[in-house]
Amino acid sequence: MNGLRRSISNVLAVAYKETALLRHDKTLPQNVLLQPIIMLLVFGFALSFRPTQVPWAVLDRSETSASRALVADIQASGYFEPPGRVAGYAEAHRLLRSGRLGAVLVVPSDLRRRMERGRPEVQLLLDGTDPITAARVAGYVTQIASHVGRRTDPALRGRGDTSPAARTGPEAPVDLRQQFRFNPTLRDLDFYLSAMAGFLLTNICLSAAALSLVAEKENGTYEQLLAQPTRPLEVVVGKLLPNIAVSYVSLAMATIGSGLAFGFWPKGNLLLLLLATLPFVLATLSIGVFVSTLARTSAQAIFIAVFFIMPSFVLSGSMLPYQLMPHGVREFGGLFPLRWFQIIARRVIERGATFSEIAVPLGVLVAIFSVLLAAIRWRMKPRLG
Amino acid sequence: MSLRRLWILMRREALATLRDPFTISILVLVPLMALLLFSSIMSTEVRGLSLGILDLSNGPVSRRIVRELAASGNFAPRRFATRAEIEKALRAGDISAAMILPPDFERERGARAPGSPPPQIDVMYDGGEAVLATNAEAYLKSLVLASVGRAAGPSADVVVVPPDGAAGRPGLAPGPAGEVGVEGGATSALPAPGAATPPARRAATVGIRVVPRALFNPRLDGRPYMVAGTFGFVLSFATTLIIAVSVVNERFAGTFEQLQVTPATSIEILLGKVLPLGAVFSVDVVLMMIVAWALFGVWPAGSALFFVLLSVFYMIVSLSLGVLISATSATAAEAVSKTVLLSTPLIQLSGFAFPVRNMALPFRWIAELIPATHYIRLSRAIYLRGEGPLALLPEIAVIILMGFGLGALALRAIGRRT
Repeated sequence: MNGLRRSISNVLAVAYKETALLRHDKTLPQNVLLQPIIMLLVFGFALSFRPTQVPWAVLDRSETSASRALVADIQASGYFEPPGRVAGYAEAHRLLRSGRLGAVLVVPSDLRRRMERGRPEVQLLLDGTDPITAARVAGYVTQIASHVGRRTDPALRGRGDTSPAARTGPEAPVDLRQQFRFNPTLRDLDFYLSAMAGFLLTNICLSAAALSLVAEKENGTYEQLLAQPTRPLEVVVGKLLPNIAVSYVSLAMATIGSGLAFGFWPKGNLLLLLLATLPFVLATLSIGVFVSTLARTSAQAIFIAVFFIMPSFVLSGSMLPYQLMPHGVREFGGLFPLRWFQIIARRVIERGATFSEIAVPLGVLVAIFSVLLAAIRWRMKPRLG
Repeated sequence: MSLRRLWILMRREALATLRDPFTISILVLVPLMALLLFSSIMSTEVRGLSLGILDLSNGPVSRRIVRELAASGNFAPRRFATRAEIEKALRAGDISAAMILPPDFERERGARAPGSPPPQIDVMYDGGEAVLATNAEAYLKSLVLASVGRAAGPSADVVVVPPDGAAGRPGLAPGPAGEVGVEGGATSALPAPGAATPPARRAATVGIRVVPRALFNPRLDGRPYMVAGTFGFVLSFATTLIIAVSVVNERFAGTFEQLQVTPATSIEILLGKVLPLGAVFSVDVVLMMIVAWALFGVWPAGSALFFVLLSVFYMIVSLSLGVLISATSATAAEAVSKTVLLSTPLIQLSGFAFPVRNMALPFRWIAELIPATHYIRLSRAIYLRGEGPLALLPEIAVIILMGFGLGALALRAIGRRT
């Protein structure tokens, strides 16, 4: 009992010293204020896989009312820029190759005859460079074209695949009534804003913790720390405590910011989110500390931290769905705490999940933290040389 | 400018770089890891996605649909007993989509009078995973329609082009919203290029069939796209960081001030730092090209030599940026927060993963200000579309201008005494 009390007092003493240092850190306002704002803007306005303003052109060899109706309908969908005109295949190829066009609609000269025979067909040449955009543009045009000449609910028309009530046509053998739960209009915004806190905390925790011990090594105070009656682990925990407070401030900034700016408030229990953040912050901080024990100079620590941050954003599934990644890469992404936190955050924020529904990823985060703590303890054993 | 002094400075930098095992391992590991990890992440193919099934009709057709969905490999159906359970699993994230076949599904399908509404199937997707849901929707829709079409038999006026998703990676097949209700009663589930669909004998024609053809990447493989982008990632972030860290280290050790008081001019100091690292990274570029070719069969469609030359020039741009960052930071900690603060929007705005075109307007402008955006664009034009230097001149000019601008700023920063 006495030992525990002494431990707590040691940790608090180190935490007090760290808070004093942090208060004078000039980069703190930048981290806590500027970064959430930049991220909020980028996540809210820039990140999307939904094609907009696709530059395209028409190679119309039929000049019929049907082809004009199709072009007008495609343009009315709002995903495309006003169409240009090309004179032939060679020009279409050239413009697609230069990247100035994303798609070229080729209407054959015999469209009218084909329509009379009941088999009208047009060709869509796509720039296949970006597979996601190409596939979606093809989907939009296909959907729009299938409605040309048919009187349909104008709200349905031309909204492509993302239409919430995207239904099969009346002539289809079966009526698929599709519904997108938790995000009925399939806004990309919800997907990215719910992952934003994870990005933010990864940045803040890793950059703070990666330098924590290295800085002491470089200043020559590391040996002093180890020589104190405080145990190495107490030093680490004491150093991390103020950063936990900073993390919660950032989480609040992210949550309140996305609520105020985009009307995107968490659907689930806020307390649950706060609780789930703790093991994630601890795990990320401990990665930073572990990096700090590995690196000999702060420069090395920066390196390892940055090259940990970048793949963790991509492979955790925060930017792209991890469910679509090939095996191997998918499992590798599971080593990053961000993977599990983004699962938790998306469940709580978007779907209003309860504790039992996030228990598994929560448990994984705790496990990652424990393993890292053991690793740090092993690395920090006082040694000579 | 004295060539001898420059040579000495370059030799010094090269020795300092090659002496450090940590830097060497970064130079080899980062490009290779980035290539391995990033190349396969941009996929539109849905595989083994867990799909909740509530089959209330439990008839031959509904069972057939589920069986065929499982056989496709795109979905892993899991049966549930009640609607409440499905809702719960969807919320918990255990399933990414769910399909409910109503109890009267078979009866309605069998005794369907012409003109009456077709039987319904309720499909729910986890919209929380917006990107995944879009892909899942395209696959599920085409698979179910194909399955129902096959069940309807040859007598029905339903013609379905089966998706080749099960056989391998479909070309344009994952395009969302398979073509539906195209002409009269004929339904072609997928806009398969060149698929022969017999003309339906119907007078009233609505809708036009679209035959999409993706140029430069007919199978819509995500790998060449990501490989070309990874060059941008490595040459932007690894170069900027390595040089920033090297300069900050020198300032820390005090050797940078020593350099400043030698007869060497600012431009000699800058070139002495940039050229050796540029040479090292050129080796990296060639290494990455070879690895991408050996592992994924991805090789520039255009001129490989042109690509290497362009990459070398781009490196000088990002190395200058690194000098600028380090010259304006007093401590390593400041350089960290600066690079981290810079690099996150960089990776998100440069078009590495998210197309610049999809961004809201001010962000498109910001993206155009980032050198990496232009380099990645060029890299993809050469790698995928085989574009030559002439058509790319405007983009190249932008990079050259940025290079001069950043170089001038870096020179000024070096000349300044701290």
